[in-house]
Parts: sequence; structure tokens; C-alpha cells
Amino acid sequence: MIEALELTKKFTEFTAVDGLSFHVGAGEIYGLLGPNGSGKSTTMRMLLGILQPTSGTARIMGHGIANEIVAAKRVMGYVPEEPVLPERLTGWEYINYVADIWRIQRGPEREEEIEELLTLLDIRDASDDLIETYSKGMARKIGLVAALIHHPKVLILDEVQAGIDPRGAATIKEIMNGLRDRGASILMSTHVLEIAEQMCDRIGIINQGKMIAEGTMDELRLQAKGHSSLEEIFLSLTGGPDMQKIAEFLGEIA
Amino acid sequence: MNLSDLLLLLHEDFRKSFRVGRVKGKRTEQKSTLRRFFPVIGGTLVALFIIWIITTIVPLFGWPFVAELISENLGIGATIFNAILLFSFIGSIMVSASTVGNSSKMEYVLIMPISMRTIFLEKTIYVILYNSILWQLVGVSIFIGLSIASSSLFAFLSIPVFVVLVLGVITIGVSLGGLLGLLFSKLLAGRRTLKQIGWFLGSAAAIVVSVFYYYAIYSSDSGELFQWLFAITNALGFSSDMTPGYAVSALSLSVLVGVPIRIQDVLMGLVFLLGGVFLVYLNAVVSEKAHYSGWLASGSKRTSAKLESLSHATWNPQPIPGFTFNQTVSVSIWYNIASIRREGRVLAQYLVGPLRFVIFLILPVFAVGEEAMIFTPFLILAALIPFAISYGVYFAGYEIVYEGKNIMTLQLAAANMADYIKGKVYSAVPFVIAATVIISVIIIIIDFSLLPYLPAVAIAAVFINVASGAIAANAAAIGGDFKAERIITRQRGSAVQQPIRGWSIVRAQVIPYILGYAGVFGMLGIGTLVGAVQGALIGILSVYIFLPIYAAICYFLFRRYSHSAGVKLAQIEASKYL
Repeated sequence: MIEALELTKKFTEFTAVDGLSFHVGAGEIYGLLGPNGSGKSTTMRMLLGILQPTSGTARIMGHGIANEIVAAKRVMGYVPEEPVLPERLTGWEYINYVADIWRIQRGPEREEEIEELLTLLDIRDASDDLIETYSKGMARKIGLVAALIHHPKVLILDEVQAGIDPRGAATIKEIMNGLRDRGASILMSTHVLEIAEQMCDRIGIINQGKMIAEGTMDELRLQAKGHSSLEEIFLSLTGGPDMQKIAEFLGEIA
Repeated sequence: MNLSDLLLLLHEDFRKSFRVGRVKGKRTEQKSTLRRFFPVIGGTLVALFIIWIITTIVPLFGWPFVAELISENLGIGATIFNAILLFSFIGSIMVSASTVGNSSKMEYVLIMPISMRTIFLEKTIYVILYNSILWQLVGVSIFIGLSIASSSLFAFLSIPVFVVLVLGVITIGVSLGGLLGLLFSKLLAGRRTLKQIGWFLGSAAAIVVSVFYYYAIYSSDSGELFQWLFAITNALGFSSDMTPGYAVSALSLSVLVGVPIRIQDVLMGLVFLLGGVFLVYLNAVVSEKAHYSGWLASGSKRTSAKLESLSHATWNPQPIPGFTFNQTVSVSIWYNIASIRREGRVLAQYLVGPLRFVIFLILPVFAVGEEAMIFTPFLILAALIPFAISYGVYFAGYEIVYEGKNIMTLQLAAANMADYIKGKVYSAVPFVIAATVIISVIIIIIDFSLLPYLPAVAIAAVFINVASGAIAANAAAIGGDFKAERIITRQRGSAVQQPIRGWSIVRAQVIPYILGYAGVFGMLGIGTLVGAVQGALIGILSVYIFLPIYAAICYFLFRRYSHSAGVKLAQIEASKYL
């Protein structure tokens, strides 16, 4: 369970997240949507203890991120938008390193589970290679295996399906649905609104660090009258493309 | 803090850096067994050699003589161990600040259920252990050799004493250096321009002071070099019996030779060890604070102000006034100068750093004595060459590597990589011209009669610079460690590990030096020789006849190697990054 309460992050002259509050319940997938630079990743990095909020707080399964961050991180799995992994380790070594840190008992059972996850995500054959040889999609898959190996109760996924092949994306979708059914709380961000529409139980739309709309798809439709798809709702709330500028540009290159 | 977490982090960091086992995967480029084991074999051979030398030489003098020599000169031992502390301190000033500043590159660790403090503590300990490898290798080998030769019953106990105490000394040095760097970062947090100027001045001052230090050593009477050195270190308190170095010296050497150990030395050793533990922990606490408080944040240009509409003309910066380049060259020059200028410390290393080469290459001549002074003006003239070469090697060779993956992701596929390389080479030329002007003024003050030769040398310096840059860029394309930017111990401008590896760094450095010195001394030699036979004017003229030939050779090398480097980089982009 994730509870964010008035989370705020200010950099010198820039407020990246401005009094953001939301709640992700057990067995729920919550989609955090917003334009580029709207504060989604900063919010996630605060929940993970990488950044400290300027004000406000959050609780992960009851553990406050201010004073119980290690306990909070122990129940969390995270896949960043751009996984920065130890490039001079092999995928297999990295997953075992993560498993050691999370105190998963060594032995055949652990190895079997790692094998299973690697095979599921079509990355088994490359697991003995150095991570520096991986493509972005492969790195993201290894990042996902690392996030799942310790059976997190809270999963934070930042654009997890970006750059993943269709089969991998479908697998990830099934894994996420399965974890939700088993009671995990999942916070995900994505720019693919169809995915959010299909998968998320509730959606929060943020812009310039502020929550501008939140609810289930039905509730969002009510908030944005006359719009039925998430894309229409999103664009009506955050601003659509500048059609005049596009026409001017197309005119220039014609 | 959790000890098992700390050990796990250390284990993985060392596994990343010192992998000797073969990687099984098919996608990974396989290294030969010899190459994988080279550090181990090399280290073992060095250790065996040292042990062999000591066990051969000591019996010639007899152990009693050596034991007396050691026990009567604990102050010299203290000086050496305090020097290790000083080296560790100087070399670590940026370590903690760099670790914190680059924490985004270890995000996979930051999300682990480990406190931030433990993570930064581990990084500092890793640097301490990494820095101690050389000292431990040499020191332990010496102590093993002496213990074999020693008649003392417990001589071998001196080895663990030495290992622990030297680690303590390096811990103090690295921790203090790290804390100082963090303190600077705190003072300059959010003041980007001031920070860059501060780093530039600080780094430049460190280089100039170290140059004066070497100059002082060389300019003293050569026969009394070491006496002079010890006098200075004594004056600085290096041999004082209240220093960490003295504790190492007194305890380890006393155990080695079997003389009674003073209780105050034991207490002092313990105090310094505990002090080291305290300082390394304090370093972790301050690093954690620096991370969360954003002392190292580079200052976002984003603001919460209202959106303003922007329009962009085609970008073609043309950063060198008076010269027009095609867009690729122009952008490459701009990017290089802009990115180097952003890091004051790196700018200082690049611009002032060649002073060290000058000292190493030129000043030993002065150690000969007064008779060498007649060469002074020529030597100062020759001092221009390291600047011309280093600027080429740094601006083109090193920066190609430090730019690393950026080069491959800047969507330069449509650009001509050879032009991109040329831009990097050209970006150094204004700085070479500036160095030439400064050195020319010095030469005119020292010996006005050299004035006729100056334009020739100045023009040659520019051509040497472009040839060096292209040769270094080609070497970088062959042996550059393009992943360097991601590794803590290989930060930009750091002296810990070169960005160009193996034989390629030799190629990048040595060939330009041969080209530079052979050319300039050849040119001046012809001038002097012809001048002696045919008269001074003809001598000077002959220099200017030689100059175009030399310039043409340099220009040919520049064209050839910049093209070659461009082709290689395009191949890397196509094969590894697409």
C-alpha cells in the first residue's frame, strides 16, 4: 500500500512536485500519467528514498519514507525508465547480487526462480553476458527480474514497457495482473494511454507537479465531460497539440 | 549500518573491477586468459622481484647492520608513511564529491534496502582499498623480504601490523580529502559559476604548487636531493613522532627488527586507527547529507515561470572568431569547448596540467648544474611542445572517450565523423596559441636573440597540436574505454585510470612527443648548424625553409588520422550502439 501525503519537491528555482497526494491500495494498479517533466519520476524517486521530499511524506506498507526508508525499500520493487545497471556484471550475477541483498536464501529453489523469471522474459540466453552488451529492452527486462525476485508487495514501474518487444510487453502485462490479483500495490507511469486505460484500476493525471485529475476511468470521464477515451481526457486536461504550429511546420517542409 | 550489506557491496564492486573469471555469454567479447590474469600475474611478479632483491641484498650487509639502520631511522619511515597519507589526501579531494555527484549512475544500489549512509561508506572504503593496492603490494613485499632476512623471532608479525596501519593511514588521507571536497561543494552549492571558478583556481593552484615542489627538488644540488627532501619534510613535521606515519613506522619496524615497542606508540597507533574509522564514517554521514541536500546538483535551468515561445535558427555556432567551418566541425568545436569549460577542475587539469610534463621533461637537465643553464632559453622554447601535444591529446583523444556514448546517441549518424574529430582537434588550437604567446613573452625576456626563431616554433606548435589531436583521437577510437563515464574511479579528469587503455594510450602520448620534439629540435638544430657554418641569417632562413616541410608532414598526419578515427568511430557506432 502506498500513501503519498502532500509530497513536494523543490529544486533551486523549480518546483518539480507540488503537494501531491494519492493512495494506492492493496491489489490495485495505479497509473500516474502526465506530460514529460510533469514530476512523475521525481515522485517515484521520493517514494524510493532516492530523493528526500522538501515537504510532505509518504508511507509504504505503513513504513514512513522519512525514518523507515530501509524497511520501506525492503518491500518495494522498482524498474526505472532508464535502468542504470552494473554494466560489468552479467545479468545472472546481478540478479543474484540483488537476491543476496534482499536476503533470499541461496540454493536450488532461488536458482530455479531466477531461471523461471529469466525464461519468462526471454532473457535467459543472455543472462551470462555482461550487462554492458544488453540492448535497452534487455536491460529493462533484467531490471524487472531484479524488481520481482524478492516478491515485492509494492511495485513501482516507470515506463516499464517502453522499448520492450510485443511478446515481452504482453508478458509484463500478465505478470502485473497476476501480482495485482495476489494483493500487490502497483504504481506505474506510462505514456501509452491505451495500456493505462486497459490495466489501471485508478489513474492520476499530474501536470507541473500538481494532481489535476484522479479516479477510475468512469470518474475521469465524468470530470472531463464529453470525452470518452483516456487520450481525449488527458489532452483536454494537459493541453493538446498546437495544430496551427503543426500546419505551419508542414507548410514549411512541403 | 549493516556489515553484511557493506561486505556484499564491496564484493560486487571488486568483482566488477577485477574480474579474472571468463564471462560465459556469447554476446560478450572474450578476453584471453593472459589478459584476464595479467594484473594478478604482474602483481605477483613485482612482489617476487622485490622479495628476491631484498633477500639477496640484505645478507650482503648482514642483518644486524640493516636492523640497526632501520631502528635508528624510524623518522625516515615516518616520512614515507606520512607521504602516503599526503598522496592519499591529495588524490582523494574529489572522491566523495564525485561519488555523490554521480549517484544517479548507481541508482540500482540506491533502491536496495540499504541505508544511504552504508552505500556511501562502502564507496569510500572501496576507494581506500583501491588506493592501497599499490602501497600494500610494494610494502608487504618489502616486509616479507625483510622478515625472511630478519633474525627476529616475530618478524613476520610486522606484516599484518603494516597492512592494518597503512590501511589506517590511507583511510585518514582519503577520508580527510573526501571531507574537504564535500566542504567545498557545500560552500559552493547552487553557485555554479563560482563553483567552476573555485575548482579551476583550486586545481590550477594544486598543479602549480606541485610543479614548484618538483622544481625545488630538481634545482637543489643533485647530490643532496634526498637530504634536502628530508630536511623539508622534517620542517613540515613529517618525521614527527606525533604523526600517523610515525605510528606505522615505529610499530611495524620495531616488530620487524625485534626491539621493544613503546606503549605510547601503541596508544598512538590505536588513536589514529580509531580516528580513521571515525573519519571514514563521518565522510559517509556528510556524503549522505550532500546527496539529500543536493550540494552536488548541477543546477537545473528549468524554472516554474510561464512558458515562453522560442524560435531557433539553424544552429551553426562558429566558435572560433575569424574562421568559418562547416556545421559539423563548428558544432564539434563548440560542444568540446562548452563541455570542458563547464568543469573548472577539468579545464585546469587540461590547461595547466602540461606544466607537470614540462617539469618532468625539461628540468632534469638543470639537475646537471650550472653548465646546463646555457640551454635555458631553448629549454623554455621546448617547454611549449608539451602544451601543444597535451592540448591535442586531451581535447581530441580524451574528450572523444569522455563524450563516450553521447557521440553515439547525438544522432550524428548523418554527420561526417571525420569532421566531428577535426572539430575536436581544432578546439584546442586557440589554447595552444594562448600558451604560445605566454611562452614567447617569457623567451623574449630571457633571451631576445631567440626572437627570430619564435614565429617558426609558434607555427610549428599549432601544427604539432593538430597532428597530436588526430593521432590521439585515432588511438582513442582504437583503445578508448567508452564506458568510462559510468565508473566511479574513472571520472572525467581523474588521474585514477586513463580513458584510453593499453597500447593505445602509449600511441596517443608517445608518438606525438616524438613528432613534436624531433620536429622542433630538428628545425632548431638545422638552424644552429647552418648558422654556425653559413652565418646567423642563413641559419634562421634555413629554419623557415624546413618549417613548411614539417608543417606539411603534421598536416598530412592530421588529415590521415582524423579520417581514420572518424571511420573507426562510425564503425563503433554502427556495430555497438545501433
